[in-house]
Amino acid sequence: MKFNTNSNVYIVVYSTVMVVVVAAVLAVAALSLQSRQYANELNEKKQSILASLVAEDRNYDEFIEARVLNAAGEQIEGADVFTLLNDLPAAFADGKFPLFEAADGRVVIPVTGSGLWGPIWGYVALEKDMDTISGIIMAHKGETPGLGAEIATPKYQQKFIGKQLFEGDEFVSVTLRKGGAKDPAHEVDAISGGTKTSDGVTAMLRESLKNYLPLLESRRAAQRAEAGEVSNVENVADNE
Amino acid sequence: MSSKNLKYLTGPFSVNNPVIVQILGICSALAVTVQLKPAIVMALSVTVVTGFANLVMSLLRNGVPSRIRIIVQLVVIAALVILVDQVLKAYVYEVSKQLSVYVGLIITNCIVMGRVEAFALGNKPWPAFLDGLGNGLGYGIILIVVAFFRELFGSGSLLGYPVVPESWYAANGGWYSNCGLMLFPPMALIIVGAIIWVHRSRNKDLQEK
Repeated sequence: MKFNTNSNVYIVVYSTVMVVVVAAVLAVAALSLQSRQYANELNEKKQSILASLVAEDRNYDEFIEARVLNAAGEQIEGADVFTLLNDLPAAFADGKFPLFEAADGRVVIPVTGSGLWGPIWGYVALEKDMDTISGIIMAHKGETPGLGAEIATPKYQQKFIGKQLFEGDEFVSVTLRKGGAKDPAHEVDAISGGTKTSDGVTAMLRESLKNYLPLLESRRAAQRAEAGEVSNVENVADNE
Repeated sequence: MSSKNLKYLTGPFSVNNPVIVQILGICSALAVTVQLKPAIVMALSVTVVTGFANLVMSLLRNGVPSRIRIIVQLVVIAALVILVDQVLKAYVYEVSKQLSVYVGLIITNCIVMGRVEAFALGNKPWPAFLDGLGNGLGYGIILIVVAFFRELFGSGSLLGYPVVPESWYAANGGWYSNCGLMLFPPMALIIVGAIIWVHRSRNKDLQEK
């Protein structure tokens, strides 16, 4: 039997069958690979968090406790941290701020912003004093290789270690300065030829970390109070 | 494998190369050749897609209504590309992130549709499959050669491993500095041009009179 392969009926039936078959194949493939892909993404996020703490050899589940804060720095229940990380700008706009607490007292704050060509994001790990950067991981969607993309290299990220977010009580964040850092406590060399990306990183750090100020400040105040008590006791002892 | 079939496979490596003779697939050759590793994965991905797109279309060739054949080709190619993308995301996540949109853009790679339209619709499945593989590999060879030079001179590394000694660099008191221009797409075009030059000067019958 020979069909007329150019009749309208044949074309309609042919394309319908084709679309249904292709859709079925793709659906099966997507579903069967989904759990693996999700595991990859989750694992990547966990590794980034550990890497920002320079603790790649630690077990994430034992070392890190994830929580979600509101704008006042109070913990909110019932929000999945990793779902929020998938769209961090939306989570920030929604007043939900994921935070990762390491068992040794350090915290990791996710940050997000825009580079020259697309989104940039990262994780900033702070020391116990809630001021000093203990490590940073940054990634990007499509910054220029060799220029803006340098932000994703360990060599560049190393420059942030030891920088401080606060000048006294004032939040000043960390700035990437074109022409080289002048203030060793709060500035990092910008990338030559990657000025727009560097500006994007500066803005990303300032805007994202700002959201966590209530928490950072309350913890700093608590630490100061503790330190203050100790020194008062010492003073009293001296007086006697 | 008969010698005729073998020719379908190996022809596109040199005298019938899709990139340097037919000047197809240039766009992605510029985009993914900054480093060697994504170029290799891209080459394999395109080879899989061209091979199987040719195979599937050759199997369907007698039933495809000629009036909608281009649409059918696109559906088959797009489905294959999505499959490749999903597999890469599941098994080589890091590389799939580096390739990002370019895997999806295999759909628009002229080589795939060109071979389906020009070869698979008029030939039996086995030769069509070989022709597809050959063209994918021919594209891949050029990609890898270009990426080799761009990564070597642009980043001083190969497959991510540094090959230029650290002490050579100006920052460490040496005399060497990476060529930043290599990292930009125009340099890929110039390297492709240089390959075409060398290739034509060695294959006289490719030269226009």
